[in-house]
Amino acid sequence: MTGMNLKVNVDLRRIGVVALRVIRQLKRDRRTIGLITFAPIVLMILFGYALSGDMSGVTLGLVDGGGHDVLKAHLGGIKDFNILYLGSESDAEKLVSQGRLNGAVVLEPDEVRVLLDATSIQISNTILAAAQSGAREEMAKLLENLPGQQSQGSKSGDMSGDMNLIVTRYLFGYDLEMMDTVGPAILGLVVFFFTFINASISFIRERSQGTLEKFMVSPLSRVEMVSGYVLGFSLFTLLQSTTTLLVVTYGFGVPMRGNPLTALVVVLLLGAGALVLGSFFSNFARSEFQVVQFIPLIITPQIVLCGVWWPLQSVPEFIRPISYILPLTYAGDALRAVMLKGAGVTDILYPDLFALGVFFLVFFLAATLMLRREVG
Amino acid sequence: MAYDKSALSLAVSARGVDKSFGRIKVLDDLTVDIPRGVTYCLLGPNGSGKTTFIRAIVGMLKLDGGDLRVLDQPVSEVQSIYSRIGYMTQHKALYPDLTLQENLEFFAGLYSIEKQEREPRITKLLDMVNLLEHRHRLAGDLSGGMYQRLSLACTLIHEPELLLLDEPTVGVDPRLRQTFWNYFDRLTAEGKTVLITTHLMDEAEKCKTVGYMRAGRMTAVGSPDEIKRLAGLKPHLELWLKEPEKDAARLKDAGYEIDEVDIAKGVVRIRLQSHDQIKGLLENVAPLDMRLKEPTLEEAFLRLSEAA
Ligand SMILES: Nc1ncnc2c1ncn2[C@@H]1O[C@H](COP(=O)(O)OP(=O)(O)O)[C@@H](O)[C@H]1O
Ligand SMILES: [Mg+2]
Repeated sequence: MTGMNLKVNVDLRRIGVVALRVIRQLKRDRRTIGLITFAPIVLMILFGYALSGDMSGVTLGLVDGGGHDVLKAHLGGIKDFNILYLGSESDAEKLVSQGRLNGAVVLEPDEVRVLLDATSIQISNTILAAAQSGAREEMAKLLENLPGQQSQGSKSGDMSGDMNLIVTRYLFGYDLEMMDTVGPAILGLVVFFFTFINASISFIRERSQGTLEKFMVSPLSRVEMVSGYVLGFSLFTLLQSTTTLLVVTYGFGVPMRGNPLTALVVVLLLGAGALVLGSFFSNFARSEFQVVQFIPLIITPQIVLCGVWWPLQSVPEFIRPISYILPLTYAGDALRAVMLKGAGVTDILYPDLFALGVFFLVFFLAATLMLRREVG
Repeated sequence: MAYDKSALSLAVSARGVDKSFGRIKVLDDLTVDIPRGVTYCLLGPNGSGKTTFIRAIVGMLKLDGGDLRVLDQPVSEVQSIYSRIGYMTQHKALYPDLTLQENLEFFAGLYSIEKQEREPRITKLLDMVNLLEHRHRLAGDLSGGMYQRLSLACTLIHEPELLLLDEPTVGVDPRLRQTFWNYFDRLTAEGKTVLITTHLMDEAEKCKTVGYMRAGRMTAVGSPDEIKRLAGLKPHLELWLKEPEKDAARLKDAGYEIDEVDIAKGVVRIRLQSHDQIKGLLENVAPLDMRLKEPTLEEAFLRLSEAA
């Protein structure tokens, strides 16, 4: 018999019939409408404000490579400084470039590097001065503890050596607020989450209602069915992402430097990917309740690993490959490029749009094949 | 396997069909012919494999063995004739969050029915299932029986040649049931075939042909009358008599088979060999009242399954 035999006849009108039905159902679902409008607002507040921390003081990153206890204590003792301990210099660089840190100090046994944001000179000077005075204090302590050697080296020579210890690097940050960097990712997240959950539930219902079996015994092909869903949900994705964009840009002041239509292209591709992913995973759930249990498995990793809240570089290396197969990583990257840097379609074609396209195609095929004709 | 010519006029023809789920044999060497243009009833208790057989007909199951042909196509090719088949699942497959009209529009769309054709059909079918006034209500707000009726309407929307209805009348009131049967008669008069499953005997009485299924096999096939005859069941006649004892003796002498004499009530029960015996009987006695009791299909199947 014909287990894996796809009916590949494709009739656009039949796809339209499925799409229209999906839209009618979504339209009637009050939760959906609520989710579309309130989810972005709640998420912006949650991630934008809560994660941005206390921005009133100077936020300084510290990469502790060993030694320099006195300098560390000195920096820690400064009231205006919030110290954030980081794993590596590249993390520090990234966060300074993104404007999330005002600067960073990298401690290494025989060198101290200070990373500063060239766009905010005043804060940079404060940080540099603090580092220098800390280093001086450290040197003084060192000399005190070695009284026997005090006569050997000239004091001024040591001081200049101390000054040489500090290497200063200036970086050019975007000078953006946390809210700005989070905004584009929220757009991606809201669309992904909504589409994934709704699509999984819809497919579960098709199965439990018996309508899936009715489809199977009709001229509708599986490709047409999944395509109809993609089309129907895409219209909702458009509506939803437009709402979210308005909330994010007008409500929270996130810039939109690029073309909003480019952002919509990214979001549509992401939504289509989430839909086929939801359809695929619906095969592994027996009830709507079980779909909810996918959230920790499918949604949370995307939030944690997409590189928005903290840089991909700070994700441990053995987990990082996962980041590179998650669609939200690419969508977040593309949306930030479009909204914050004004990138056009060609700028984000590779790897972002390409990766999203591949993700969609792979799961479209998987979802279609999983809609099995025969049971048992 | 070769088919004889007569098989060409069959709507469904099964030869030695086997299907197991795990170690349970659900269809066991099932052989049945369903001619075109009739209402055929697949009768059997719950779990006898009726739904499984219907799902096999529409190609939703991988068979373990045997041959199955549907509208002259081998079941492996059944996809190519889906537009000619109407399938009403036991689960009444509908969208509760769509209105009746929207549900019907959707199923019409799947079969590419043009808009000008669609509306009159929707109206006609909603009228037939007596739901016209609820046209714009949500299907989810309907009662169980109404839901059932809408499901039937959705199955009929593309005017299929072969209708497979899995327990279509559960929860439908008797008067409306009769409407359904009249409609099925009209369909079969047009040459269409209606295959109905049921576990209710009185339902099966209305069909021209009944196949009795038990544990995945067909144990008896025929018209309800034929099946009763096959089971050896005879009609009974109850006579209310002034002198039951005396009359009973007289009837016995005349060759009638006396089943029971109830002196207190004045009733004599006679087992008839045929209905023709009634006339001769009246020449022997003058009953105050009489009642003919036909054997039920239920009794027939009970007898048949006891014998099996
Ligand atoms: N997909 C399946 N997997 C396992 N067992 C099944 C499946 N479908 C049906 N069965 C079993 O097959 C038997 C016959 O079921 P079914 O065809 O639904 O009977 P009926 O429709 O006559 O009530 C039952 O014992 C049922 O549990
Ligand atoms: Mg059944």
